[in-house]
Amino acid sequence: MDVKTRKITGQVIFILLALYLDGLMKWAFLNNMNTGEVMFIPQLMLMVLVMLSMRISDRRQLITYGIVFGLIYDSYYFGMIGLYTVLLPLAMVGVDHYKFLFVKANMGYEISIYFLALTFMQSGIYILERLLQQTKVDTMDFITFTLGPTLLWNMIVFFILYIPLANLSDWLVKYRRDK
Amino acid sequence: MQKFFSNKKLIILMLIIIVTFGLLAVSVNIKDKKSTPPVVQQVGNDTVSIVGGIFAYPTNAVKNASSEFSDLYNTYTENRRLKSKIGELAQNQAKLKVVQEENKKLKDELKLNATLTDYTFVNASVLSRSPSSWQSYLTINRGQTSGLKKNMPVMSGKGLIGRIIEVNKVSSKVELISTDNELNDKFASEIQGDNKNITGIVSKYDSDSGDLVMENVTSTKDVKKGQKVITSGLGGLTPRGLYIGKVNAIKKDNYGMTNSVYITPAAELRNFTVVTVIKSSVSGEK
Repeated sequence: MDVKTRKITGQVIFILLALYLDGLMKWAFLNNMNTGEVMFIPQLMLMVLVMLSMRISDRRQLITYGIVFGLIYDSYYFGMIGLYTVLLPLAMVGVDHYKFLFVKANMGYEISIYFLALTFMQSGIYILERLLQQTKVDTMDFITFTLGPTLLWNMIVFFILYIPLANLSDWLVKYRRDK
Repeated sequence: MQKFFSNKKLIILMLIIIVTFGLLAVSVNIKDKKSTPPVVQQVGNDTVSIVGGIFAYPTNAVKNASSEFSDLYNTYTENRRLKSKIGELAQNQAKLKVVQEENKKLKDELKLNATLTDYTFVNASVLSRSPSSWQSYLTINRGQTSGLKKNMPVMSGKGLIGRIIEVNKVSSKVELISTDNELNDKFASEIQGDNKNITGIVSKYDSDSGDLVMENVTSTKDVKKGQKVITSGLGGLTPRGLYIGKVNAIKKDNYGMTNSVYITPAAELRNFTVVTVIKSSVSGEK
C-alpha cells in the first residue's frame, strides 16, 4: 500500500470513529429524555470534517467524503436520506472555498469556521425537517432549546479536543509526494 | 435561455434543490408507508450497526457501572421502601401463579389459543441514540432475523419506552415515546379504575413536565391521581397489559372542550442498556 492510500484509509477511519462517537455521546452523556426540553446534539463528525477540509486541497475528495459519510449518517441515525447527504458536502465546499482567506490555520479561525458550519448545518436540518413536517417546533424554540445548547456544547468540546484533533488531522493529510 | 444554461452556478443550485427534496420526499414516504427500508439501505445500516457494536459494548459497560454508582447512593432509602413492599409481593406472586394456571386451564377448555394478553419477547441491547433533536431514535442490535416487525412495542425494565419504527436484517430503530410527533407513537391504553377501566389514547408528550398525555378519554369522572395506566391491546401489534405509568394530573385543553390525562411514565428513559421488544401472539389488522 502506498503512502497516499494509507493516509486516506487513516482519514476514513478517523471520520468513522467520530461518526460513532456522535451517537454514543448522545446515548451515554446527553441522554436527557425525561425532561427533554434542552437538546445538546454532539457533532463530532462535522468537527473532524471541518478540520480535514481546512487541510485537504482536493475538492473532489472533500465532496466524496461529504456525500458518503452524509449518506451513512442519514441512513443510520435519521432514517431518511437527504439531510446530511446534501448539507455536509455544501458546508465542506464552503469551507474549502473561503479558506484561502486565512494565511495560517489557528485555533481562533478554525473555531469560528466550525461555529459557522455548525449553525449552517443545524439551521438547514431544521428548515428541511420543518418543511417536511417532521417537527412542529417553532423557530424561537429551535434557537433557544436546540441551536444554542448545541453550539455551546460543541464549542467546549472543540476547545478541549483542538490540539489532539488538529495534530492528528495534520499528520493524516501531509505526506511526501516524491515517492 | 442560452444565457441561463451557460450559468453553471445557477444550474448546480437548481440541481441541488431538486435532489434534496426528491431524496427527502422519497425516503420519508418509504419510512412512513413501507414495512422495511430498501435492501441497499438495510445492508448499509446493518454493516454500520455491526461495526458500531464494537464501540457500543464498552460504552454500555461504563453506563451500567455509573448507574450502579447512583443506585448505591440511594440504597438506604430505597431499601427501606422496598422492605415494606416485599411481603406484599410474595403474596401477589403466589396468587398470580395460581390465577395464571387457572386462566390457562380455562383457555384450554374454551379452546382459546391466544388472547390479547399473550406475548413473547426478544431482548436487545442499545447501540446508540440518534444525535438529532427531533428524531429520538435508539438503534438496537436485533432485526428481522429475530422476528421483529415494524410497530412492535418496546419496553425497558420498568415500562413502555417506545415502538419499532424501522427494521433491518440484524438491527432496528426504536422511536421513543418522548417524541413529539403527530403521526406516530400513539398507544391505545386504559386507566385501571376501581370499578371499570377507562380507555383512551396516549398520543402526546409534554416536554415541559416530562409527562405523557392521554387523549380521547371517555370520561375522567372516576380518574384519580396515582392510578395505573396500561396498554389496552386494541388496534394492532400491542398486546394488553403493558405498564405505561401512573396518572399525574387531569387537565382541560386550551379550549376547555376535552380532558387530557397526564401520565408520569414508569420507565425512566435514561438508565438502561437493554430493551425488550414485545411480540404479540395475536396480530390485529395492520
